Amino acid sequence: MSRAPGHLAGPFHFQYTEASRTMSSTATSASFEQLALPLLPSLYSHAFWLCRNHAEAEDLVQETISKALRAFDSFQTGTNFKAWVFRILRNTFLTSRTGIAASRTVFLEDHPDLLDTTDASPTPEDYLISLDNQATVNQALDQLHPPLREVLLLCDVEELKYKDIALVLDVPIGTVMSRISRARRTLHQLLQPQLGESL
Amino acid sequence: MTQTTQATGHLDPNQLNAFIDGELSPAESNGIQQHLADCHPCALRVLSATQLKAATARATQRFAAPPEALARLAAQLRPQESKRTARIYSFRSIAWTGLAAALVLALSLIGWRQAHQANTLSAELLDQHLATLSSGASPEVLSTDRHTVKPWFQGKLPFSFNLPDPLPADTTLKGGNLAYLNGQPAALLLFTIHKHEVSVFLTQRSASPMATPLPGTRSGFSIHSATTHDLRIVAVSDVNPADLDLLVSAMAQAQSPR
Repeated sequence: MSRAPGHLAGPFHFQYTEASRTMSSTATSASFEQLALPLLPSLYSHAFWLCRNHAEAEDLVQETISKALRAFDSFQTGTNFKAWVFRILRNTFLTSRTGIAASRTVFLEDHPDLLDTTDASPTPEDYLISLDNQATVNQALDQLHPPLREVLLLCDVEELKYKDIALVLDVPIGTVMSRISRARRTLHQLLQPQLGESL
Repeated sequence: MTQTTQATGHLDPNQLNAFIDGELSPAESNGIQQHLADCHPCALRVLSATQLKAATARATQRFAAPPEALARLAAQLRPQESKRTARIYSFRSIAWTGLAAALVLALSLIGWRQAHQANTLSAELLDQHLATLSSGASPEVLSTDRHTVKPWFQGKLPFSFNLPDPLPADTTLKGGNLAYLNGQPAALLLFTIHKHEVSVFLTQRSASPMATPLPGTRSGFSIHSATTHDLRIVAVSDVNPADLDLLVSAMAQAQSPR
C-alpha cells in the first residue's frame, strides 16, 4: 500500500509544524524576556558610558535587544546570558557611528611586561587614596581611556567574571587581567593628586 | 599570576586584582589571606583597591536609565508578540477562507438542490465530500495505516468493516471520520487516487435508506456504490470513474470473508 504523503496530508503536516513552531517560539521569547528584562538598567547604563548620550544609549540598547532576540537561538543555555548580551551591545556600539569614531582612538597595545609595575618600595601612603568624594572618582573614570574604563565597568559595575569579560570584549583572558591592572593603576594615579591636595 | 612576586615577596597587581575580583580558587585565596595577615603594605593595597572597586561601582549610578526609556525598552522586549499574532491571524485567515468557501459551496449546493429536487442522499454525500475538501480540517483519525484507521471506529459504529490490502495502484488511505447519512452513522474513509480526493462512506445495508440507485455523477463528481452482505459502500470523487470503481470493488471484496 502506498504511504507516500499526498496533497491531503500536506496541509495537515504544515498545520502541525506551524503550531509546534509557534509554541516553541512562544517559549523562547518568554525566556528571552525573562532573561533580558532585569538587564535593561545595566545595558542602558553601560550603553550610556559608551555613547555619552541618552538618545544614543537608548537606541543602542534597542538595537541590542532586537539583535539578541533574533540571535537568541544561537545562545547556549547554561552560559552567561549577561555576557552574551553585553557582547552584542558592545559589537553594536562598535559598528555605530559613535563607535566607529571612538575606535579611531588608538588603544595602546596590551603589553603585560609594561604593566608589571610592582613598586619595590611601596609606602602605605602610596596606596591610600581619598575616596570620600565620589565626584572625584567619577571625574577620574571620565578621564580613563575608554577601553580601560570599559573593562573596569564590566568587572566592578556589572560584576562579570574575567572569562565572561573576555567573551564580551573578544580578547584572551590574559588581556582582560592586564587591562584591569592597567585601568586600576591609571585610576589610582589619577586620584593621587587629589590625595596630595587633601593632605 | 597566582605566584607571589618572588623578588619582593609582595602580591603582584594581577594577583591582587584577581583576589579582590573573586577570581581565585579557595586555596589561592587562602594563601593570599595568609600573606595579608603578615604583610602590612599588601593589606593596605588590598584595602585601597577594594575601596576603589566599590567607588567605581558607585560611579555608574549617575547614568541610571530614565524610567520612561526603561519602559520603552521593556515594551520593545515584546514586539514579537504582535508579529506572532499576525502570523496566527494569517494562518487563521486561511482557515476562514476555507470555511467561507465551504459555506459558499454548501449554499450553492442547497440552491442547486432545491432547483432540481434531486436525490437528497447523493447531494448529502457530495456535501460531505466537498466539506471535507474545503474545510482543510484534519480527519478525526489521521493515518495511512489501515491498522490504525479501522480500530479507531470500534465502539463508534454499530458495524465493522475491512480495509483492502493492498489498495489499488496510486491509491492512498488518508484517514477517517465519523459521518452521518440520513441520521445513520457512517464510516467516512478518505483516500487519494492520483491526488484526487475520494470520500468513501460505509453504512449498514439494513439501515441504509438507499433503495433507489444513486446517480453516477453529480456536479461533475462521480458517485459509485457497491453493496456487500452487510454494508453499503458509496464513493464520491472527481477522479476518473474507472479508478473509482477499482477502489469501490476493492472495498467490496475486502468485506467478503476469505
